[in-house]
Amino acid sequence: MTDLAYLSVAGAADLIRARRLSPVAYTEALLERIDRLDGRLHAFIRVTREAALEAARQAEREIAAGNWRGPLHGVPFALKDIIDVAGVATTAHSKVLIDNVAAADAPVTARLRAAGGILVGKLATHEFAIGGPSFDLPWPPAVNPWGEMRFPGGSSSGSGVALAAGMVPAALGTDTGGSVRNPASMCGIVGMKPTYGRVSRRGVLPLAYSLDHVGPMTRTVRDNALLLAIIAGHDPDDPGSADVPVPDYTAALDAGVKGLRIGLVRHFYAEDMQAHPEQAKAVEEAAAVLGRLGAEVREIRLAPLSDYAACTRLIIRCEAFAIHRRWLAERPGDYGDLARQRILDGAAVSAADYIDALRLRARLTHRTLAAFTGIDAVLTVSSMDPACRIDDAEACARAYPRQARQPFNVTGQPALAIPAGFTEDGLPLSLQLVGHPWQEAMLYRIGQAYERATGWVERHPPGL
Amino acid sequence: MTIGKEEAGRLALAAGLVRLDDKHLAQVARAIAGARELAAQLPKDLHWSEEMALVFRLPASEGGRK
Repeated sequence: MTDLAYLSVAGAADLIRARRLSPVAYTEALLERIDRLDGRLHAFIRVTREAALEAARQAEREIAAGNWRGPLHGVPFALKDIIDVAGVATTAHSKVLIDNVAAADAPVTARLRAAGGILVGKLATHEFAIGGPSFDLPWPPAVNPWGEMRFPGGSSSGSGVALAAGMVPAALGTDTGGSVRNPASMCGIVGMKPTYGRVSRRGVLPLAYSLDHVGPMTRTVRDNALLLAIIAGHDPDDPGSADVPVPDYTAALDAGVKGLRIGLVRHFYAEDMQAHPEQAKAVEEAAAVLGRLGAEVREIRLAPLSDYAACTRLIIRCEAFAIHRRWLAERPGDYGDLARQRILDGAAVSAADYIDALRLRARLTHRTLAAFTGIDAVLTVSSMDPACRIDDAEACARAYPRQARQPFNVTGQPALAIPAGFTEDGLPLSLQLVGHPWQEAMLYRIGQAYERATGWVERHPPGL
Repeated sequence: MTIGKEEAGRLALAAGLVRLDDKHLAQVARAIAGARELAAQLPKDLHWSEEMALVFRLPASEGGRK
């Protein structure tokens, strides 16, 4: 069973295509694992067992008939529960939307299903992708499998946990202020926030329209590239979607980093904030690894983290409050305390301050892109610290702003979080690669070279 | 900075939040304090010529008479 639990999408695809692995047997095995583990990890809001088995049987018939659709055909996946699936409730992990049955698939859901993916369920999130971890909601918060009662990050918490625990090989999350990369960092998996406009957000419950991204979460860089290839593309009915051609994300995956120029943003974790020493050391060692592999790594400077943080927080607060105002007026008691507080925060921001935050965003974006001139990508930290205890509310609150992800929600650039080792206590460490707009393929190329050189993705949580 | 229940109540009313209880109003008070703190972190040198980041664009090739 362990082999199937930690099979990659690419590995499963090879076996399924060669008819050495049955999609039905694979799906049944992962459903059994979910049954066994989810009582303590709480990654899932809802498991769509019967629909999953039916889809697996259909995939098996199609593949047997010679109609293999691609690398996701017959492979289980799961979705953060703010993404619509026709006929299934999109709850956002909230009492407010507990009966909110979606009428249609979100385009990202439809794309994954059209590629032959087997949806096995909807995953836990921080309430409305903003208020967590919380213990006053209809479902408990997801728990990180890497340590006893450890915080898995968020808000795509269930996605991170399900991947790390070997429940699924692929999932989607969303990222408004870091919510794909945070659980990726805490759970020791791979998470991509693509360029703003790269992936449709239609049918995905918004947190802040101008900062929201949907992104793939996987256990390996290659799998992430395969998943992004399926969900990327223009959606004329998403006002934020961009009509930019989608490249082959795997074409240059194994091209290595020799000759690439990588900017190291050290001041984020050594001046603006002081990262946990083991986390800072992991990024420095990653820079050395990439240097040994032939990249030219040199230090560059961006704006201070505090500038990006103020900008992001003001925009999220205002846009989230605008989205939630009617529900908050009618049913304030149906929100958990944390989400209510964070959304109410937007009620108190003046229109002029919101406009100034948007003007600051333009300035920061212009200056950040200018600093990327002459380099292929940036290397920096994702989280400043490894996972704290989930039942320590103060520690979780302290951890929330100690990150370097928000700058790239502000600028809309693609950013990839990948595993970068472990603390002495066995908790995952991570790094972040950031690229030019639409250059996700470059991040995958660098990430793949680092992943192959280090092998961190081969380690899985003990005791499962 | 301490924000009073009265000020929180006025803001909630203005925002159309008429069903908040005392616990919720205490959260509004914290929101007011937090918003002031964040606003103070905005740069003071934004020039009027620095426009906001666009999130709205008209299609390039549509509209108008052909």
